[in-house]
Amino acid sequence: MSAEEHREERDKEDKERRRIKSGAAMRDLMTKYYMEAKAAEGTDRHIAWITSGGPVEPLIAFGVIPVYPENHGAMCGAAHMNVELCEVAESRGFSRDLCSYARGDIGSAITRGGPIGGLPRPTFLVCCNNICNTVFKWYEELSRFFDVPLFIFDTPFVRGDLPSHHLDYARRQMEEYISFLERITGREYDEARFVEVAAKSLYASGLWAEVLACNQHRPAPMTCFDAFILMAPIVTLRGTQEVVDFYQGLLKEMRERVEQGIGILPSEKYRLLWDNIPVWYEMRNLGRLFMELEACLVADTYTSAWTFQEVETEDPLEAMAAIYTEVYLNINLERMADKIESLARRFEVDGMVMHSNRSCKPYSLGQYDLAKEFTRRTGKPALIIEADHTDSRWYNRAEVEGRIRDFVENLLAESVTA
Amino acid sequence: MDMRTVAGECLEMWRNPYPHLARLRDEGERPVAFFCSYTPEEILHAAGLTPVRLMGAVRTITHADAHLQAYCCSLARTDLDMALAGELDFLEGAVFAQTCDTMMRLSDIWRRNTSFPFHGDLVLPIRMGEEISLPFLVEEVRRFRKQVEDYLGQRIWDDALEESIHVYNRNRRLADRLYRMRREKPGVLDGLMATACLVAGFWMRREKHNELLHQIMEDAEAGEAGDTERLPLLVSGSVCATPDLYELLAELDAEVVDDDLCCGHRYFDAYVDESISPEEAIARRLWQRVNCPAKHQCLEDRAERLLRQVGDSGARGVVFFLQSFCEPHLFDIPYLRNRLQEELGVPSLVLESELQSFSRGQLRTRLQAFLETIRGV
Ligand code: SF4
Ligand code: SF4
Repeated sequence: MSAEEHREERDKEDKERRRIKSGAAMRDLMTKYYMEAKAAEGTDRHIAWITSGGPVEPLIAFGVIPVYPENHGAMCGAAHMNVELCEVAESRGFSRDLCSYARGDIGSAITRGGPIGGLPRPTFLVCCNNICNTVFKWYEELSRFFDVPLFIFDTPFVRGDLPSHHLDYARRQMEEYISFLERITGREYDEARFVEVAAKSLYASGLWAEVLACNQHRPAPMTCFDAFILMAPIVTLRGTQEVVDFYQGLLKEMRERVEQGIGILPSEKYRLLWDNIPVWYEMRNLGRLFMELEACLVADTYTSAWTFQEVETEDPLEAMAAIYTEVYLNINLERMADKIESLARRFEVDGMVMHSNRSCKPYSLGQYDLAKEFTRRTGKPALIIEADHTDSRWYNRAEVEGRIRDFVENLLAESVTA
Repeated sequence: MDMRTVAGECLEMWRNPYPHLARLRDEGERPVAFFCSYTPEEILHAAGLTPVRLMGAVRTITHADAHLQAYCCSLARTDLDMALAGELDFLEGAVFAQTCDTMMRLSDIWRRNTSFPFHGDLVLPIRMGEEISLPFLVEEVRRFRKQVEDYLGQRIWDDALEESIHVYNRNRRLADRLYRMRREKPGVLDGLMATACLVAGFWMRREKHNELLHQIMEDAEAGEAGDTERLPLLVSGSVCATPDLYELLAELDAEVVDDDLCCGHRYFDAYVDESISPEEAIARRLWQRVNCPAKHQCLEDRAERLLRQVGDSGARGVVFFLQSFCEPHLFDIPYLRNRLQEELGVPSLVLESELQSFSRGQLRTRLQAFLETIRGV
């Protein structure tokens, strides 16, 4: 073996050692889930399309199959198929300025396009506006398109602490949601079953939080590009046993990596925080770029949105109501800044990269102020790049990559002068 | 002053309300800005403050770029820009009602970067007109009143609030008459003038505006209805920051016979019930009034209402006038256009406005082409 071959061999082994093995289990889990969901179409099983931040536990408790257009949108984005779907919606009069998840989803509903031939037809829809107000407009359109009922779980914006009348309103809607499900499925609400599902959901979300926390170690066992992929089950199927099992497996793997000192990057010079939804169609290139720059994205504001805080109450519906109202995108900038600061400190980052996402106003507006606040509070720099999470027509690769390079190189300069 | 002069002054104000607003303060008023027609102005009014509406301005952005991305509507961007440039220093504060995601974030950005003494937030449900959200909305109105009281350091008495409700209800009745008048007496009061007279009310105390409308109405009622050959249209959308659209339509021999605008018909729709407690009554009105696309309402679908309005007014075309990037409005467009076309055979045109790159020439060309297709020339 030549020296060259030797090195290649070593690199390969090293890469193999760093590979996250649970990825395969996740792919199996998600494939099985999508196959089941697709197979259920046309049977008497109920299929509900639901927004990513919506309370899914009641659906699971009632035996309804939840389907997430956003997860599907991410998939279409990663497969570089979302633009053509968006174009279908645009040709029907939907503006190019609307959220590209929504446009792509509407396009896919019309054409059944995308990597898995479209999502199974819903029998009803559940929309929760805790992530944005786009979703209820989008679901109104879906409700007209499929001519199916729409349940809106309305979570008004929270400034400061959660006021009691917000909680009352959310709580009343949880009850309404349950009655809605009873009516649609013809089944009766079983509180014990609901509590069991809710407990699993919270448990899984706790496991997910621990998985993410493993990245506090140096070197980090994964990057948030991995987390973006590995979060699919917590988003789509929390509340089921499979998800608990999966995250237990993943946590075990992460802990082993930490013990053995296996980092995801061959070397980890910088630790960065990522803000906003990933640029799905650019994951590979961006992943490569950060690796080349020896910068590891150790934490992000997106995947941690599915780590719920437990709330103190005896009442399971109220607990769910509170949890779903106080999510990251439904709070004011000061509270968001607290969260970012705490991530930055816990994960000991050297800076933050913010994706200013043309498609997503609630996530992106305010980022300029958050960036400043982040620097003020932590003394670390922040970079803002422009993109769109699934509409690549807005993306300028050369420009974004150039800015990331400059940013990381400046970090180096700073650490030299520091 | 006769009707023409009054309407002319209103039009002047619509073109640029800011010099007038700056004078309010010297006249002893305490202007507080609001952006959205869901703001319970009665509460501010009862507190001795003067609610004034900010609807953006045609201008180049210099300061707001550091806080708001370019993919956000120009209402938010130009308003913030003026505030940061110190051009709104006559304000005592601003109130943000939660409608869209932009407004929701703008509130924080505004509060953090300006130093007006008062900052008010009103959190609204999106589910309007359904029993489930009413108690929440009543509580929010109560909380908003408390915010204002805390700021003033004194109570807003119920009788003051009832008085303000009365003034605003009268204003709504007058506005409604104004709108009916332009249909009943064509040639006396056209769409441009009627809208100017309505919009001017955003920049003065309601008592004063009531007097103004009253006077207009008296004059108009005395006038002789004439024939008009103008093509009847309906304008739908958010707000018209300037009279340009209306002026162009008039130049092109079209007549706006009704509208579905947040600074028009949607603003004065529904009354506050004067026989129940003021907070609940104010909340009820917001909850049952015509829906804004940023809200969900099953009681009466927005499309049904628009179709009925178009039918009743005899409009032969609809112009959708929107802000670029405005998701709530943009989402509804395909559906509304389809229904207008399919059920009424009424064609429509979508115009997007960006105040920082406003071009009257472009607007004119598109309107002209649209009117030609309707006229079949
Ligand atoms: S606007 Fe943002 S939060 Fe809402 S659906 Fe689109 S990407 Fe998600
Ligand atoms: S124009 Fe649209 S985006 Fe702008 S504030 Fe109004 S509803 Fe929001």
